[in-house]
Amino acid sequence: MIKFLKIMLSEFDHFKRSPFKIFSLLFYTMAIIYGCQNGYTLYKKHNLEINNIKTKISDSQSKMIKTFDDIESGSIKKPRRDPTTPYWALRNTSTYSFKYPSKLMVFSIGQAEQYGYYKYITNWSTVFDEDLAHEIANPERLAIGTIDFNFIFLYLTPILLIILLFNIGGLEKDLKFENLILLNDISKNWWIFTRFSFYYVLNSILIICCLLFYVFHLEFDQANFNYFLNLFFIICIYLLCWFAIFYTINIFGNGSLDQSIKMVSIWLIFCIVIPGSIHQASSIKYPTNYMLDYLNVSREKSNEIFSLSSDSLNKKLMNSYKFLKSSKHAKDSIVSKSIINRSVSAIINDLNKNVNYQIESKNEKKNKFINSFNIFNPVTFCQNKINKIAETDYYSYQKYRFQIQTKIDDQINMILLDTWNKIKINKKKYLQYIDELK
Amino acid sequence: MIDIIINEWTKFLRNPVFVYLNVFFMFSLIFVVYLGILQNNSQETNRKIVEDEVREQWDNLEPMNPHSAAHYGSYAFKPMNLLNGLDGGVNDITGNVIKLEGHVQNEILFSEASQSLSISKFGKLKSSLLLQIIIPLIIIFLGYSSIINDKKTGVLKLLVVEGLTLRKIIFGKSLSIWLYGLLLLFLTIIIQILSMSNFESLNRLILLIISYSLYYYILAGLAVYFSSIFKNNTTSLSIVMCLWIVWTIFIPKLWGNTVEKVYPLPSRQVFKDSMKEERSKGIDGHNPFDKRRDILKEKFLNQYNVDSLSQLPLNFDGIVMQADEEYGNQIWDKYFGKNYYILEKQKKLFQISGIVNPFSSLQSLSMGFAGTDMMHHLDFLKSAEDYRRYFIKELNDQHAFGGSKTGDWKWTVDSLYFRSVKKYDYKSAKIFDKINYYSLDVICLLLWFVAVNSLIFFINRKKNIL
Repeated sequence: MIKFLKIMLSEFDHFKRSPFKIFSLLFYTMAIIYGCQNGYTLYKKHNLEINNIKTKISDSQSKMIKTFDDIESGSIKKPRRDPTTPYWALRNTSTYSFKYPSKLMVFSIGQAEQYGYYKYITNWSTVFDEDLAHEIANPERLAIGTIDFNFIFLYLTPILLIILLFNIGGLEKDLKFENLILLNDISKNWWIFTRFSFYYVLNSILIICCLLFYVFHLEFDQANFNYFLNLFFIICIYLLCWFAIFYTINIFGNGSLDQSIKMVSIWLIFCIVIPGSIHQASSIKYPTNYMLDYLNVSREKSNEIFSLSSDSLNKKLMNSYKFLKSSKHAKDSIVSKSIINRSVSAIINDLNKNVNYQIESKNEKKNKFINSFNIFNPVTFCQNKINKIAETDYYSYQKYRFQIQTKIDDQINMILLDTWNKIKINKKKYLQYIDELK
Repeated sequence: MIDIIINEWTKFLRNPVFVYLNVFFMFSLIFVVYLGILQNNSQETNRKIVEDEVREQWDNLEPMNPHSAAHYGSYAFKPMNLLNGLDGGVNDITGNVIKLEGHVQNEILFSEASQSLSISKFGKLKSSLLLQIIIPLIIIFLGYSSIINDKKTGVLKLLVVEGLTLRKIIFGKSLSIWLYGLLLLFLTIIIQILSMSNFESLNRLILLIISYSLYYYILAGLAVYFSSIFKNNTTSLSIVMCLWIVWTIFIPKLWGNTVEKVYPLPSRQVFKDSMKEERSKGIDGHNPFDKRRDILKEKFLNQYNVDSLSQLPLNFDGIVMQADEEYGNQIWDKYFGKNYYILEKQKKLFQISGIVNPFSSLQSLSMGFAGTDMMHHLDFLKSAEDYRRYFIKELNDQHAFGGSKTGDWKWTVDSLYFRSVKKYDYKSAKIFDKINYYSLDVICLLLWFVAVNSLIFFINRKKNIL
């Protein structure tokens, strides 16, 4: 143990005397802070935007409440789009669905810039509407990518390690005095292992200190802290893997230069070539989906539905929504065209849901294909694990899409139920709608 | 000079490891280029199938009112440029489909990046990845020790005694390494040419060759230069590698973030709200109580000298719809114009980083000349919007002047008319029409070329030989 500590201390002395290594470590630290700060800025931006929209929602709802007051007091005529009908009352609830950013987004922006995080919901909405596309941004900047902690850690940590470790055991070989080490009664492997341990500890402490600053600054609750512990576990394992690879290279290396070239080649293979190959292979096997099925529903099939007679639509609606059979309108002998017109969105929504299922299944196949290479592609595997923890991965946004669909369904069910039961909407009922769609 | 180059190549070829690795790399390169072409073709075939199906639906529409047809709309599918297989640029990030319809200008949707888990942060394994990242690394590995080894073995002194100048030796060695990079570049381009059939792509490939050649020369020159000024290989390699990392990884991302902060774009919410508010000040085609509609009505009644809309020899509804569109178009031009202006300013500011980072210039030129950068993307968006305007005007004119009367919403046109509406056919912009966007990148690369040559030209002979 004492020998272990002595070697660690001597490695510290060696490190202190290498301005290039110190500079690299400082540069790396700055990059981590910059990456976290980028994540923090995006986290704040998302929250700010959501709060702005909430203010807008509240203003719009207040205006609507005033309109109800005015209608009820008789001071204004009903507007063209009559809010006392369930259809227009619900259209005026200013319903939004938000994807609140996780505090762990600070550590991984992931795919957050590729999706929308707020969505205006009506009975005509779908989960592939244009307001769910990513924020207005420079596409070249998006293509080049953002520096976040996830990127720095996964792609640049190995480079830092190359700088810190390439001459361990190699310098001695370069200067041909490696056999002198054996005179100290230690094995070469143990000696290299101890020197590596110093950098492992140094790196881990450095990373955890940088991250802990944001953990305390953002006041993580227990749940987020547990996620943070998961993140830290991944960090330790990932670091360990690279140390193991570089340790093997140094054990069998033929000098600093030979070791550094091998290390750089391994980095290239794991960080660029393998992910790039899988990316290309997945594109060939599963080309970009032009969403023809979705386009067909939003145009061709919707058009077919619109051209159906009210009787046919009435039957279709009653078949799909059994609860309508006990409604007031169902008991009428004449089918009301206006009630049917206000209910058509339910049939379109059903078609959209079927298509969504197919699209999600296709995407899932592609994801399964990508994941099937995880064993050869540890960098992408870890990248997606960290994105998942930060709730910035594909599945977090899929979950958000499901949440949106639920809200669309809720709104449609309310329209159907109250329209078919010929309910007149007043202020109280409107407030009830707002509450239910929150 | 030629002797130095021949000598260097003889040295390369004498090393069996180098030869085997090269053969392997060249085959890999051919395979990667082939895969890029394959991916591009499969994507393009898919696009054509979808485009044809959507057009067929349009051609076979049931009789319909022209305004309903405007709501039915059309779609523009972003075509894949032939050189997308070489450099995908922004294509994975941007969407691929825009709905073109009346009253609204939609955004492009369904990007490839949003359809799966995140994979590579450096993009697909396409030719551009090899040409921009791997080949420069090979150039670095070939160059970082070239002079140092000659210094150690005394060959350098021998060459100087024989009458060669250090400058000539560095130029010779740089050229020999550069030629190697050029060989790999030509290999890529030749395979790409085999899959091409148009002259425009050839022009683009020539410009790509020039850009990559300049960058490879800059790298080869610097690697050999550092090898001549440092005493050991480790220092030389460390410095060139650091430069490569900073150039390839840090500066593009760092500067990319910075330009968005210097020239910020509005958030979608603010953008849409402002557009909506301004649009509400114009005619609302679907609101019969709109005051501006009444003004237009009066104008038409006076023009035709009649008392009521029913007496007009045209359908006033179509006129209102077109007036609504034209007002909307002005708003689109104003707001999207502003965004495009900001994006162009961002692009220019990004290009300035080429002064300290030739890789940024290369990356920008590679995307630009491959026709996959932001400028080409904006060109597609503008063309789709132009088509939308033609498409909707055509339908509104048919609505107004096709023979129906005001208020007759049941009047329909048949598929014969729908077939007469021109199909959307986007041709990618010609590179020489867009070349001015890339002048800054070209200037930066040329400046670097001059700077590297100057470094070599003014090298301190004695200090570096000893």
